[in-house]
Amino acid sequence: MDIAELKSELEKLHSASFGWALSCCRRDHAEAEEVLQTVYLKILEGKALYRGESSLKTWLFAVIRKTAIGEYRKKLVRSLVFLGSSEKHEDGVSSADGPTKIFEKSELQKQFRVALARLPARQREALHLVFYEDLSLSEAANVMGISVGSARQHYDRGKKHLREWLSHTETENGIVWRRKETPSAV
Amino acid sequence: MELSGEEKKLQALFSELKAVDEQTTPHFGATWNRAQSLPRRVRRFNPAFVAAMMLLVFGVVAFAVWSRYSHPTSAPQPDVAKATQSPAMTTTGEVRSAPIETQEPKPKNPAIVHRNKATSQRNAMLAAANRKLQKDAKSIANWTSPTSALLESPSDEIFSSLPEFNQSTTQLKSFLPSRSN
Repeated sequence: MDIAELKSELEKLHSASFGWALSCCRRDHAEAEEVLQTVYLKILEGKALYRGESSLKTWLFAVIRKTAIGEYRKKLVRSLVFLGSSEKHEDGVSSADGPTKIFEKSELQKQFRVALARLPARQREALHLVFYEDLSLSEAANVMGISVGSARQHYDRGKKHLREWLSHTETENGIVWRRKETPSAV
Repeated sequence: MELSGEEKKLQALFSELKAVDEQTTPHFGATWNRAQSLPRRVRRFNPAFVAAMMLLVFGVVAFAVWSRYSHPTSAPQPDVAKATQSPAMTTTGEVRSAPIETQEPKPKNPAIVHRNKATSQRNAMLAAANRKLQKDAKSIANWTSPTSALLESPSDEIFSSLPEFNQSTTQLKSFLPSRSN
């Protein structure tokens, strides 16, 4: 695949890539943008090379995930080195002004975002890839670099946590929804 | 993938999240161009790699120093080396024993004294062994077979000497075969 062809394919996947980068960067808009930029640079430099072993989307998401982890580590080291600096690392939901304001229109959405941020990273990733990106569990496992069994476990646990959160929120809001206990749909 | 009621709610929440994200997604062209305009990173020294290499070098040097000073310089070994050489036998059958140097350096510490004592004991043993070897070699040189007398004959002289050109015929007679007629 030559670079022009790859570019057009990346353009198609850009929106989904950005959503995935956001998830990997704990919803930090600026960081997600930087990560995506770094990923494109890696592709341009040939450091990230698509060999056609999996689908382009899976490969790209795996590169984004690795890059995001790398950037996060660098940031962590920097914050440890400059411990006394004014920069503060916020856990959970970051303060991305534009999207946050839009998002806060819906209280439920805001709470959902907080609940998602509280989930362990692997569970959040599995849920995001399945619900948000419409990937299958095997594709999600491929992106996360784990076995399908592990991915399924993370997915089920994450779903259980979100279900609990959902029922709790609904009870708080005075809405009683009949809960269906169905086995995993996957 | 068939979704249950709560899963559908989760799906709806994720869809809403996706819709919000799509509104805030930066333009592909801008991100791509920025990535293209970024200076290509030149591979510099990796600090972690440099630190690891320094640690490795330090470890090797420390080990070398430690191994050098943990084993003090041993007593001169050439004495032993010379003493262990087998005695050389000359063409005449004489056996030359290896010279054994008994000169020892002055002991400096108990370890060296002990080592020197052990060396001298070893040298003494080797000297005794050499003496025995000399004796054996001499006896082997003087040995004659008990059946060698049976191999001797009066014509041995003929085989041990050759006629010369200037020799007289009378002298050569002994070499020529006798004619019967």
